[in-house]
Amino acid sequence: MKLIYRYTFLILLTLVLMLIAVFAQNVTYTPGEFQTSNPYYPKADPFYFEGKIDWNLLGITQPQNAWDFLQRGIHFQDDLNDTPDAINDYQTSLSMNSIQSGTCQIVTLATVQSWNGTPPAQLTPAPCMFTVRLRLGYLLEQTNTSRAIQLFQEVLQIDPQRLGVNTLIAETYVIEAQQSTDPTTQQQAYANAVSAFQAELALSPVTSQSTALTADSANNSKVHWELAQVYQATGQNGLAASELQSYLQATQWHSDVYPWRIALAKSQIQTLQPQLKVK
Amino acid sequence: MSVRYLSGTSLFFLCVLVSGCGAQVQNTSDAPQVQFQRQQFQRPENCLPCHQRQYNELHSSVKSGYRNVSPLFNGLEAAANLVNGGLLRPVYKDSTVVLPDGTPLNTNMYSSPVLTETRQVQAAFCLTCHNANTEILGENTAFREVPQLPGFLASFRPEIFRPLRDYHLADANGNQLLPAAPGGDPPAGAQPSLGAAGITCDFCHDENGPDLNRSFQMDGFANTSLLLNQSNAKVGPFAFPVAVKNHFHVVSNDPNLIGFLRAGAFCNACHDVRVPRRNLTAEEHNMNPGGQNVSYFRLENLSTEWQVGPYNSTTNPFGTVVRCQDCHMSLFPYAGTSTYPVGDMTVTSPTPGVFATDYAAVPGVSTDQDASLPQRKVVEHYFTGVDVPMASPDELSARLGPGYPDPYATGTDSHGVPLGLATRRHNLLDAAVRISLNKTDTSAQLGQKFSVRLEAVSLTGHRFPAGFSQERTTYVQLSVTDNSGFVLYQSGYEVDKPHPNTGELAPDGNLDDEDLEHLHAVVDPGKHTPTYSTGTGTNGGNNLVFETGPDDGPDARVYVGAPEGLVLFRNELIHIFLPGDPIGRTSAAGAPVKAQGVHFEETFQAALADSVDNFRSLQPLHPRTYTYEIQLPTQQQLQTIGVTIQGPLHVHAQVNYEHFPPLFLRFLAGVTGPSGPTGNNLNLVDEARIDTFLKNIEDIASDDTTVTVTP
Repeated sequence: MKLIYRYTFLILLTLVLMLIAVFAQNVTYTPGEFQTSNPYYPKADPFYFEGKIDWNLLGITQPQNAWDFLQRGIHFQDDLNDTPDAINDYQTSLSMNSIQSGTCQIVTLATVQSWNGTPPAQLTPAPCMFTVRLRLGYLLEQTNTSRAIQLFQEVLQIDPQRLGVNTLIAETYVIEAQQSTDPTTQQQAYANAVSAFQAELALSPVTSQSTALTADSANNSKVHWELAQVYQATGQNGLAASELQSYLQATQWHSDVYPWRIALAKSQIQTLQPQLKVK
Repeated sequence: MSVRYLSGTSLFFLCVLVSGCGAQVQNTSDAPQVQFQRQQFQRPENCLPCHQRQYNELHSSVKSGYRNVSPLFNGLEAAANLVNGGLLRPVYKDSTVVLPDGTPLNTNMYSSPVLTETRQVQAAFCLTCHNANTEILGENTAFREVPQLPGFLASFRPEIFRPLRDYHLADANGNQLLPAAPGGDPPAGAQPSLGAAGITCDFCHDENGPDLNRSFQMDGFANTSLLLNQSNAKVGPFAFPVAVKNHFHVVSNDPNLIGFLRAGAFCNACHDVRVPRRNLTAEEHNMNPGGQNVSYFRLENLSTEWQVGPYNSTTNPFGTVVRCQDCHMSLFPYAGTSTYPVGDMTVTSPTPGVFATDYAAVPGVSTDQDASLPQRKVVEHYFTGVDVPMASPDELSARLGPGYPDPYATGTDSHGVPLGLATRRHNLLDAAVRISLNKTDTSAQLGQKFSVRLEAVSLTGHRFPAGFSQERTTYVQLSVTDNSGFVLYQSGYEVDKPHPNTGELAPDGNLDDEDLEHLHAVVDPGKHTPTYSTGTGTNGGNNLVFETGPDDGPDARVYVGAPEGLVLFRNELIHIFLPGDPIGRTSAAGAPVKAQGVHFEETFQAALADSVDNFRSLQPLHPRTYTYEIQLPTQQQLQTIGVTIQGPLHVHAQVNYEHFPPLFLRFLAGVTGPSGPTGNNLNLVDEARIDTFLKNIEDIASDDTTVTVTP
């Protein structure tokens, strides 16, 4: 009998200790306590936060997933000016968020239709990120043009209407042309650049509606300027002059970060095609 | 028997254990029952005889009065209601609205015991922080200023929708007076209602501690998570208050309430804003029991930023906690300066936490038995921030009473603080940020690139800009010129241009009404239709024009990592279009354009945001370096245009501030104008108001350097 009571006491004591241990582990929330989880670490729902969060706020000691490695890569690149480590982290991130190996998915109309109106909290595999591809592609533009172009094209697979991506592709083709000594490769690269620049312009076309709202008769001065340079490099002076005209129209109400280009464009138009009247 | 006993006992403890494991929240006792005499919320004028100085100060702040008649606040609230079918207007306990699941919707954000339904959070979402007193009083139909709409969602009637400020007018007897038409001028004899006063003396001094159950994280942040008494017990800052004459009110001796009023935590209830809408990149849910279905996103994080930042610690240059009150209710920035290192910069800025010595009430009229009052450290009630009224003195007086303080008044008060809100705002902004160009390349060569490196640091208690930081436009204007002034590079510049969408058909000589050149956007203002349906189809909000500008920097820097273009500290609201969603624009052929993939695009309509990037603003005391890789023209290009560069090059950088982007104001002009969804002119924003009142505050911080240049 005494033995039974002793066991009972021991079991009860164990249960009480378990209770104390459970509550001491802070499983309960004490009202007034500041946020229990880091408010600066977003939980993807279902898309990743695209962009940059201050590294010191994230509280990541060792990156665990594609997004963590992207953020540390950004920290290396932007805060520490450490390009090699940034590239390493971006590549690790991409290995965990890869279209080729199926560790990420491109969300399509069919995907959305399967959701019955409400995006799920999580996607398996996770959605493909565009920031890591843009950042790595930009860092590889000078050293590995084909890889850079591939990464930018993956961004267009994710979002064909994202502004600026076709321009990055075009600029990389221009770099490829400039780096090449083979005339055929050069010619093809410049032709690809022209196509990509034109694809960029097509994403924000000047329409009667946009002109009525803004008074702009052309847009995207940067693309028109760079396209004119390609035409000049390939000896297509008429097209170059036409693009410079569009550049001048696009800068009419917006000027340029390099305002001297406006005077230069006017002068170049006269040289390239004297019969063209500068607007 | 023993075994049975053991089993029963074990079962009991196991049940306790299991219930303990499952519980996420401990029970909390209700706030103490108020024993003081009930007292209706008072007009601030009733406090004036004894607290003249405080009344005058509060009267000139945007928090009191102006905010409720503000064309921008009213326009924003209207635009959000127009797109979602009136869901942001209050419901009260006599509501007959039934939720889709069959439960009645008869509580709003303030009156819901626990926010278990998104509709409850939406109900009076804006009004609750801006005018909680009015909302509480509205439970009694005799005191109700802002009525419940006659219909929501598909039953919403935009043609009878009124801006909130229509309801804040009363006759001499206190009876509500409405303008003849929605948005019309105040009727003859109209005076400001209690609601027109907004955040009154009573709002703060009636506090009864934080209402943790109303905040999504049970932390007292956002959702006006504040308990308010309607009694004659007022909470002040002093531990040993003097008794009040004629017992107009009594003064609380509760050290907890006094401590709360004096703490930064007091401000948390309204200066974080968490929007009841699903965020597609950051999942968060109300953690209150039963509230799991309410998801939200963090729109404004000002309080959180302070809470987790260096000024809520002793590891800041002042070695002590610097509270909200130390900058926004002190003599800051008029009480001397301090010099200290931040990173590798050494900065000089105004010293926070210095208070005037004065009477807290008017001597001789305010104390019981005319007891003498001591002079003590007192706070200012200006609550100066980054806003200044976008309304004329006549308009302000018509809605807020004659003699409303002129925001541009000159002179100083008895504490040496400028009387004009515009001056105080400018001086506060001047203290917010510092920049340095010290890391810029020292030499450059024509035809080559060189790097300008701009280091920027915020000295504010929160990020800078903060609050509605997705619209508060803070940016770097940077130029590179040669020694004769020839401009080689410019960023953060503006160009005078026409704005046909709001009737400005030719440049008007004013740069303050121009947007920056990083993107060109026009937001759809919507249009009135005979039958109403929710969404952006006819209610506006999507971008009709959205193009990259020549100074593209914000997105290029964040997403691409490119060292070029505008440095913009403004945060960004993002709308995520899913494949198949119309994005609001038409193709060159006139067909609606639909998203082909998952398309992230900046939105200027907060009600459409489903992702927020609040990390473009500057962290306090955390320097960040921005590089500008600048291409210099070749000698040949310069010869073509007849220019000879004279060295050295001059790099000038300055930080400018504009409280809202003009394109956003033009959206509000359209959506609340006669062609907008209501079909009425709500008289809130138009091109004339933008031209007159939108002021770009230039050069709140600056730096210069020179660069030698070789051919």
